[in-house]
Amino acid sequence: MPVITLYWDELERMVGVERERILERLPMLGCDIERVEEDYIDVEFFPNRPDLYSVEGVARALRGFLDVEPGLKEYSVKDADWKIEVAESVLEVRPRIIGCVVKNIKVDDEIIRSLMQIQEDLHWTIGRNRRKMAIGVHDLSKVYFPLRYEGVTSDFSFVPLDYDEVMTVEEILSKHPKGVEYAFILEGKDRFPMIIDSKNEAISFPPIINAEKTRVTEKTTDLFIDVTGFDENVDKALNILASMFFDRGGEIQSVEIVYPDRRERTPNLNPREFSVKKEEVYGLLGLRLSDNEIVKAFERMRYGVEVKADSFKVKVPAYRADIMHSWDLIEDIAIGFGYDRIEPVYPETNTIGLTHPWFEYRDLAREIMLGLGFLEVITFTLTNEKHQYDYMNRKAKPWEDFVPLQHPLTEDHTILRTSILPSLLEVLSLNKHHPLPQKIFEVGDVVVGKLNRLKVSAVITHSKANFSEIRSVVQAFMKEIGFEWEAEETEGTKDGAFIPGRGADVIVAEKKVGSFGEIHPEVLERFDLTTPVVGLEVDLSALFDTGELI
Amino acid sequence: MMLSPIEVTLVKSLEVGVEYPLAQAAKLSGMSKDAVLKAAHLLQEKGFAEVISKTEREYFLTEEGDDYLERGLPEQRLYELLKKGEDEVDDLKNKLGREFGIALGWLRKKGIVEVEGKLIKLKKEAEFEERIILRKIKESSEVPETKLKELLKRKLVSFNERKDIFVKIIKKPETELKEVIKDLTQELLISGEWKGREFLRYDVKIPSKVIYTAKFHPYERIVRECRKIFLEMGFTEIKGNFVQSSFWNFDALFQPQDHPARDMQDTFYLDEYMELEENYVRKVRETHLNGWVTGSTGWGGSWSLDTAKKLVLRTHTTAITIHHLANNPEPPVKAFCIDRVYRRESIDATHLPEFDQLEGVVLDKDVGFRHLLGLLREFFLKMGFEDVRFRPGYFPYTEPSVEPEVYVEGLGWIELGGAGVFRKEVTEPLGIKGKVLAWGLGMGRLAMLRLGMKDLRKLYQPDIGWLREIPAIRK
Repeated sequence: MPVITLYWDELERMVGVERERILERLPMLGCDIERVEEDYIDVEFFPNRPDLYSVEGVARALRGFLDVEPGLKEYSVKDADWKIEVAESVLEVRPRIIGCVVKNIKVDDEIIRSLMQIQEDLHWTIGRNRRKMAIGVHDLSKVYFPLRYEGVTSDFSFVPLDYDEVMTVEEILSKHPKGVEYAFILEGKDRFPMIIDSKNEAISFPPIINAEKTRVTEKTTDLFIDVTGFDENVDKALNILASMFFDRGGEIQSVEIVYPDRRERTPNLNPREFSVKKEEVYGLLGLRLSDNEIVKAFERMRYGVEVKADSFKVKVPAYRADIMHSWDLIEDIAIGFGYDRIEPVYPETNTIGLTHPWFEYRDLAREIMLGLGFLEVITFTLTNEKHQYDYMNRKAKPWEDFVPLQHPLTEDHTILRTSILPSLLEVLSLNKHHPLPQKIFEVGDVVVGKLNRLKVSAVITHSKANFSEIRSVVQAFMKEIGFEWEAEETEGTKDGAFIPGRGADVIVAEKKVGSFGEIHPEVLERFDLTTPVVGLEVDLSALFDTGELI
Repeated sequence: MMLSPIEVTLVKSLEVGVEYPLAQAAKLSGMSKDAVLKAAHLLQEKGFAEVISKTEREYFLTEEGDDYLERGLPEQRLYELLKKGEDEVDDLKNKLGREFGIALGWLRKKGIVEVEGKLIKLKKEAEFEERIILRKIKESSEVPETKLKELLKRKLVSFNERKDIFVKIIKKPETELKEVIKDLTQELLISGEWKGREFLRYDVKIPSKVIYTAKFHPYERIVRECRKIFLEMGFTEIKGNFVQSSFWNFDALFQPQDHPARDMQDTFYLDEYMELEENYVRKVRETHLNGWVTGSTGWGGSWSLDTAKKLVLRTHTTAITIHHLANNPEPPVKAFCIDRVYRRESIDATHLPEFDQLEGVVLDKDVGFRHLLGLLREFFLKMGFEDVRFRPGYFPYTEPSVEPEVYVEGLGWIELGGAGVFRKEVTEPLGIKGKVLAWGLGMGRLAMLRLGMKDLRKLYQPDIGWLREIPAIRK
């Protein structure tokens, strides 16, 4: 989630409230304060509020929230003659472009800092790393209208930002740092989006890089902003930017977009209208607020609101990209009212508590193992084939037995375990420096063929650990869980984890449900173990109905 | 009188009144020197024996002493020269060299000579027994202490000290020697022989050998505590498979298909697909695209069935709770789940690729956000957090959303999980009738607070030493 740096002098000046009060109330607007310094604060805002990714946006919200200037703020757009023609050739690649012009703005360090921050955060959030939306900001005086937005071939060339020589599209994508970084978005395309002015010079190659010639400097007073992409995400971004410059005192002028089959004029900063039913508010909040309280809460959150008989007519500012549903507005009522002013009430919903059989059997097995003198451990279920099978002299097949991860992060974690025993051997290996004997167990999940199973496993290590010791444990365990069982010698070829003649399968009703024995020295060697180990593993899911798994 | 077996043995082995060197006493009693000493001390406390410690000096000649033994003491040599009539100081000085001063000093001190000008006058006869004593010492013969004093002072003789221990039985116990009982055996009990006898008294203050408790993992005790709270509050426990479809993990929760959380960077996917219930799929798809009948605008764009079918290691237990609610859409439902989830993250002190999550949901008709806050307050109160406060939060599938914080002494306000009311875009396509209050938290955070841990890895990478040391009691 984006972390925004807000400088106190700017914020205090723009909000008109001293920092102590801002600091106290800001979290109740919905954010995490990451760091408080003498000059600035770092604040993490949620991904649903891109309008708060600039000091202008935060100040605007706080002026409402702190009762300095509650209610809807009017944003006006002046119609003007700026025009962009969209060519057929670009529709396949990146079909939407919109824009606006900002007049009479003093471009100083403050604005540049704020603009760079919000541009980056919008690219990341709404833009999904520029894939869905990308912004270009230009010095209007260097841009010659009308503009053409078209799909060019890879030999098209211009001077990209931060360079002083002409480069082709192909060169930019392979050499320019931004080209290299974002080339993935245009991979496989034979046409490339380009905004070209009436002097036939490129001003921007979205979503990669602007042209050097329209660079914004401290001498810039008027801006042209383009936003390209696919859908309404471009409008969300442009509205946020236009509102921000309007708040800075700029005049917003519209741009006409001429598509082959239609025309549109952007930005549209008129508020959207939503209707919120009163009953819906009471129901969702569980709180019967008065009309007046609700209106006040809406206005604190900078909405325009009109009270009707059963509902509220709410004007939602154009910069609020997150409002999809009336419930989004009801949340804002709660925030505007103040979460800290809502008295919590325990619900009367009356139900009877019920445990799940899985955990009942798990607890039963844990209790028995504890009684047999074993210490409980917990281990990861993520593991790898080497530890699970190769080390254990065992074999298994992907999907049939174990689940392989498609994109593992490390060699240690490539599959989900089907057996707990290897995990316990790893634990012993890591704990060789602790006094012997060591007796540990785990009752937990394994995943066999995509489904969870409940298994118990235990190991004992000390200098005289032997078969009869672990057989005693298995005998006791099986007796406690109430099963008649037989031991059947494991053939070395079938389960190489145990010493031949000292390993056995646990057979219940002619079905194998587990195994135990003296761990084969080959296995011990691989786990770097130097004292004898005996172990057991029993599949509880094979013995009990462990209940419905979702 | 209570005598231990070793005391009895010792008393029986030695004569009264004889001082036995330790080694001899050990030989006679057939016990080790340590055991004899222990028994002798015990007997001494009771007045039957004496442990005598003697310090013996072993004298030997220093280098100088050796030299004088061979050549005679300087004063003796001077005396002999004087006897021969030599009395000139300068001549004698030449003959005795550096030792002249020592020699003259001693003769004058003993009143044997006087110095008159440049002449030394012999005043009386003298005897020099020092040389004899030196010889005796050299031969390790007995020499009276008094005679050694001067030689020790002159550093002609030195000594080593040797400590010898002797055991002497002063008297034998009057009553018949009867052993006290050390080990209470089956034979003693059956025969009744223990009657009338005393038991060996132990020193109860001596710590015994360390043994380790077989016990549950400390983290499991926290899980147990949470389960107990949910069950007390009337919740049903649910359990689901680790492998889920993306549909239940993401789509059913209104997470757009291009949401960053669904990136393969953050989520473990499996290269397999799962068939989905057609009825749910259609409605969820519509809701994503245009809001369906939920009153939402939806996310727009496109929605792919294959993306929804793709298998994933569940990234949260909400994949389970939402499916449970879809299976049980009629209110009231109260369910909880404490179980493993997976994130594609590198391991460090606060991040693990798998960890446990706790989650609770309440489905009912007449419940709202305020009741969610009530649930949270009650839950945290039962967990022992008395101060709870609420801040706005954001989760893609809840509206309103809230981040509860609890006050922890010494740490301040700590964010503990997240909560909210499931969006209509989540509940309506699945036919869930009513509002769903939901909250969850990472168990690791709780474990860190409870067990005072700084490193989450400790939970799943067991250190047997730590597990043995950490007490079972909740601190």
